[in-house]
Amino acid sequence: MPTRALDSLAVGEAARVTAVTGDAVIAIRLQEMGFVPGTTVRLVKLAPLGDPLQFELRGYHISLRRAEASQVRIA
Amino acid sequence: MSQPAEKPLRVALAGNPNVGKTSLFNELTSSRHRVGNYAGVTVERREGELAARFDVGRAMTLLDLPGCYSLSATAEDEAVAYRELAGGELDAVVLVVDATNLARNLYFALQVRELGLPVVVALNMSDTAQQLGMPVDAKALRDGLGVPVIATSGRTGAGCDALARAIVDMRRRAAPALVPLREGDDDAREALQAFGGDSARARWLVCTTAAGTAASFGASAAELAAAAPLDAGRCSAAAAQIIAARYAEVDRLLAAAVGSSEQGARAMALSERIDRVLTHRLWGLLAFAVVMATMFTAVFTWAEPLMGAIEDAIGWCSEHLAEALGPGLFTDLLTQGVLAGAGNVLVFVPQIAMLFLFICLLEDSGYLARAAFLMDRMMARLGLHGRAFIPLLSAYACAVPSILGTRAIASFKDRLVTILMIPYMSCSARLPIYSLVIGALFVTDEDGEGAGLRRAGIMLAMYALSTCSALAAGFLYKRTMLRSPTPALVLELPPYRLPRLRNTLLVVYDRTMDFVRNAGTVILGLTIVLWALLSFPREDTGAGAGGKTEISRSYGGRAAQVLEPALEPIGQDWRIGVGIIASFAAREVLVGTLGVVYGLESEEDEPVGLREAIRDDRNPQTGAPRHTPLSGLALMVFFVYACQCMSTLAVVRRETRSWRWPVFMFVSMTAVAYLAALLVFQGGRALGLG
Repeated sequence: MPTRALDSLAVGEAARVTAVTGDAVIAIRLQEMGFVPGTTVRLVKLAPLGDPLQFELRGYHISLRRAEASQVRIA
Repeated sequence: MSQPAEKPLRVALAGNPNVGKTSLFNELTSSRHRVGNYAGVTVERREGELAARFDVGRAMTLLDLPGCYSLSATAEDEAVAYRELAGGELDAVVLVVDATNLARNLYFALQVRELGLPVVVALNMSDTAQQLGMPVDAKALRDGLGVPVIATSGRTGAGCDALARAIVDMRRRAAPALVPLREGDDDAREALQAFGGDSARARWLVCTTAAGTAASFGASAAELAAAAPLDAGRCSAAAAQIIAARYAEVDRLLAAAVGSSEQGARAMALSERIDRVLTHRLWGLLAFAVVMATMFTAVFTWAEPLMGAIEDAIGWCSEHLAEALGPGLFTDLLTQGVLAGAGNVLVFVPQIAMLFLFICLLEDSGYLARAAFLMDRMMARLGLHGRAFIPLLSAYACAVPSILGTRAIASFKDRLVTILMIPYMSCSARLPIYSLVIGALFVTDEDGEGAGLRRAGIMLAMYALSTCSALAAGFLYKRTMLRSPTPALVLELPPYRLPRLRNTLLVVYDRTMDFVRNAGTVILGLTIVLWALLSFPREDTGAGAGGKTEISRSYGGRAAQVLEPALEPIGQDWRIGVGIIASFAAREVLVGTLGVVYGLESEEDEPVGLREAIRDDRNPQTGAPRHTPLSGLALMVFFVYACQCMSTLAVVRRETRSWRWPVFMFVSMTAVAYLAALLVFQGGRALGLG
């Protein structure tokens, strides 16, 4: 099954996390912030210059750059 | 009757950022805090005693740990919190959790509970959770976590009594409560075996090994050796399983205590509506500009009357002291050394307090995170975090508070890059110099029409030069000496909340006093040294006013004359040299010193007739003017670059905990200043301008 990354979400769209890959420090950090498999994440909006992105998960909001968001695989 | 005094209990307050931990800390402690830094890192440390009104029969020292999301040490503040919590010095931990967002807060709670310290959970903002219609069942949470849970409100102080009592009651070391791994978490089980089986330490080692931070955050040699044979991929999988197992437990607890894992969404509903304006692509940027302009005006303008009052008070004291003691060396030491030094310290207090007031209000309200969100794209191009923007902007007012304001930047290297950029920004102390030089050599009052415009144009050019230079310096340092990847942005956008003034003021007070105590001592010492340089040797003690113009024969004056061959190529003479030496106290001192050198009466800020004196100063042999527009430009460029500010250096020393960086800053900036002035003067001459 082809998976896509979190930065491909459209504004308002939500998806479930399947895995976090790539740079190890950030991967651990993201997982501890709640990006664990099965968690629903919604893209709330983009910053005025198109980056970073604002997500909602576990009832709170977090901002990631596209680079970090691309490490989160979703389905 | 009275038993031997027991050692006060050491209790840490731990929790996620933005959960009201500091406001609870302020509520629990008497208002005298000890603020400092953890050795070697920039993480702030605050400590205080339990306030006397909590009559629990036991003294208690409370430690406000840096707010963090986990203990796995992917960042400095987490490493500090972990070291403190796992260090064995603590008697208990108060775990502050936000009752409106348990879905994320409980992860950290479980991690702390694994360490086996006696834990009390402060269910903070439980009143807000109630109002939002998402009450937390404290009893269910207590049963699920197996530790006391006390509902509190840092806003009203409710629950603090019960909390203090609970801490005293439960000081038995609990057995570590490791969150059970799930079926199929075999990578985790296998990796934990490498560290002697499942334990809190072993879990920490698996996660830090996976992140590659184990060595830098304090794993022992034996532990690193045990980690070496682990396969990186398996180790990452193991860490992922440990983290996922904890979140599975969080979801179980949530189901029991709240009944839903989407609880926080309601808490964020209002914030999301506010954000529709405040992070809007047009209105958001506009609002940001207004907020920044207000902050800038506050630091730049509103602080001014207070600074003036402080200067007047110091002047009044030194005048009366001089009168009372009569003329003499001791009087001069007291007035021009000690009192002037104290003035040099205190004069920064209004600006520092003002900037911290704004930063704290913005932070407590939740806006600071939005500011970083808005500015991140621009700062990321430079390789910095969005949080570096505010300190850089406020550097236009004054470098000293700005450097203190860089504490919000998590990575030490990036913080250092920002600190090294700040003094290049044209601060308010350069204004009197630009204004003197422009007035003396470029635009005279008789110029009439267009004079104001030319004046502003030259001024603007100096600001543009300084801004470009700061950006260039940051770009360079980030890619050479302080090379590090652009820091990741993993930034919570917390719910907007109304800041509590008492809280904000306490933090502002703590930080300002910390400046006075630490950087203040250095500034005072340097002022006295500088005074001695410009007052010794004394020709005739106490013989009337004659001593004042003797500045040219002082050590400082002589040094300037020895240095004259080096000053000539940049178009300056020894008189300006004396001014440059004296202005090390603060740049604007150049103006007053030149007045003394030219032997002028000094009444107001700028000595009467100084502009004319500079303009009319001629070389007696050739009759050519000593100062030309070209030499004036060279002088201004010199001051754009030179780190002529001992207070900046003192603050950099305090913030980096070493003399290495202030010395580097001073030497590199002076070198750049000299070369730039040389380029301007010699280049201008080659082009036939001077």
